[in-house]
Amino acid sequence: MTAIDTRAAVTGAPARIANVMRMHVANPMPTLIMPWIITAIVFGVNLSIWLMVANAAGGAEYLEPRAFQYNGGVSWIVIFMMVVAVQAMSLTFRFALGFSVTRREYYLGTAAYFVGLALLYSTGLTGLAALERATDGWGLDAAFFAPFGLVDESLGLVWLLYLMTMLLFFFLGSAIATVWVRWRAYGLYSFFIGLALLLVAAGWGITAADAWGDVGEFLTTTPLAQLAAWTLPVTALCAVVGFLFLRRATPRA
Amino acid sequence: MDDERPIFLQIAESLEAQILDGSLAEEGQVPSINELAQFHRINPATALKGVNRLVEAGVLYKRRGIGMFVAEGARARLLSDRRAEFAELHVRPLAERARALELGSAEVHDMIDKEMNR
Amino acid sequence: MTAIVEVEGLTKRFGRVTAVDNATFSLEEGGIHGLLGRNGAGKTTLMQLLTGQEFVTSGEARIFGENPVENAAALRRVCFIKESQVYPDGYKGKHVLRAAPWFFDAWDSAFADRLVKAFDVPLDRPMKKMSRGQRSAIGVIVGLASRAELTFLDEPYAGLDAVARRRFYDLLLEDYAENPRTVVLSTHLIDEAANLLQRVVVIDHGSIVIDADAEELRGSATTLVGKASDVEAFATGRTVVDRNALGGIASVTLAGLSSEDRRAAAQAGLEATAVSLQELIVSRTGGTDATDEEEAA
Repeated sequence: MTAIDTRAAVTGAPARIANVMRMHVANPMPTLIMPWIITAIVFGVNLSIWLMVANAAGGAEYLEPRAFQYNGGVSWIVIFMMVVAVQAMSLTFRFALGFSVTRREYYLGTAAYFVGLALLYSTGLTGLAALERATDGWGLDAAFFAPFGLVDESLGLVWLLYLMTMLLFFFLGSAIATVWVRWRAYGLYSFFIGLALLLVAAGWGITAADAWGDVGEFLTTTPLAQLAAWTLPVTALCAVVGFLFLRRATPRA
Repeated sequence: MDDERPIFLQIAESLEAQILDGSLAEEGQVPSINELAQFHRINPATALKGVNRLVEAGVLYKRRGIGMFVAEGARARLLSDRRAEFAELHVRPLAERARALELGSAEVHDMIDKEMNR
Repeated sequence: MTAIVEVEGLTKRFGRVTAVDNATFSLEEGGIHGLLGRNGAGKTTLMQLLTGQEFVTSGEARIFGENPVENAAALRRVCFIKESQVYPDGYKGKHVLRAAPWFFDAWDSAFADRLVKAFDVPLDRPMKKMSRGQRSAIGVIVGLASRAELTFLDEPYAGLDAVARRRFYDLLLEDYAENPRTVVLSTHLIDEAANLLQRVVVIDHGSIVIDADAEELRGSATTLVGKASDVEAFATGRTVVDRNALGGIASVTLAGLSSEDRRAAAQAGLEATAVSLQELIVSRTGGTDATDEEEAA
């Protein structure tokens, strides 16, 4: 009985990773319901402000063109994904570890779940953007789900941008979660201090090289799709770093 | 179950007592290991040890696939074993106690007669 | 019989605290074994090391002959229930029982349902809102219904009253009889569980102080009570584990008394009582100051 168990065929790694995903879904509130609620709230707030402004102006036709297209409300939803990731991971890691799941299986399952969520939300939000366009900006020539310059871009690009940025924030969140799970409060302090220092150093470096102009040019002239693609290495880095941190994490109470 | 002696011995003794007083008949079936373990709230391995002790002593035997049974003549054998130890286990302490209380042999005999005839 | 749990020179330090100190022992497959000791002695840490949840500082911990860390093949045959188990926010009792079969291959739902009724657990209540006893009951249900080859139960009945505990022992024995496996039970309620245990490993301040079969320990020490002079006379030349005196009466705990010795003691007018497993362990794990072993002069 101490020989290596050959029942791998029955519940192999893929099945166990799928089980980790199911574990996340067992309580759908934080990952599958909250984000939609947040979306509804942020959108609702924006919509009510627009309606009030339109009313005050005496009607939508009296507004400046594209008046309601420059709002960044949707970015809250994308950034919220980071919170979703932190919550999902910190709540379920210790549970999973206590139920005989290895850290590797847990991370792969959770990462797969995040990718799935990113796809789900990108598609959903793009669908809402399509609806937005179909209704002429909710009858107000507004743009919430594809604001700013995205108004003129294809839905395909919108979807891609959503996907890339969500992936980035999911894995940023999961990296933060692994810092929390492993090192708790002190870890988080160190992480954010380190991050701040890194950004300041980067700022210094760019200033020293007098490169702000170049940075600005890069950001404004590079096609959006390419910019989105640039986030992938950062996302991948977060994913790898998150795993490396989690490998030595323990369920310390 | 007392703390003094190993549990497996107590199990063996409990079964022997039941054979002696007739509640477990010869050629009759004895409770299974699991039943014993659950009843006495002990580890099944311990119950097994107790039963095996009796199997080795020829008091019980196993019928494959059915269970443990009391061997023929077990009661008689247990009786004669007990009789052999009777003097040492019970009479000697009695005699020592009697001597300690300064009771004479004749007085003790009378008491024994009275008790036996009760 | 092969050893299902093996610990060799195992040490675990948390900063300056040594939770497990050079522990070595092994447990045989297919028994109900006890990992006993006081609160904070190191029982939970030991189990966490054996299930790969904590990392060793030095030495080895092995289950099924393998290192448990990140070892999916070995871990899937293990179920570790501990009191401090956390559950995801919003998880209710029914969610835990719904998730359990995903992790334990041998999960028996019918048995789990029986256990839910036996312990009367409210499945619709969030884990966070359950009482300590109800949480323990869920843990026990998962531990028993998992039918895992190697089941670790760490103080599984915190908060369970005596009736529920009795139910737990009975259910454990019953299911263990029908589905033999290896159960390692850690508890500080020793006397209740004593009769169930095959092997007893006692840990005190991180070190293993007892590693013996329960049967061996049973009756390994006897307390004699009587007139002080008689007691002292009898104790001469024997291994004294503990001694006490009150007025003209003395009590002395001696190790390794044979039945002849006991008869001799009775003749000397001394009253003998066997030391229970719990008392034995209490005396060996920092009971009062009377824990020194000494040869009587």
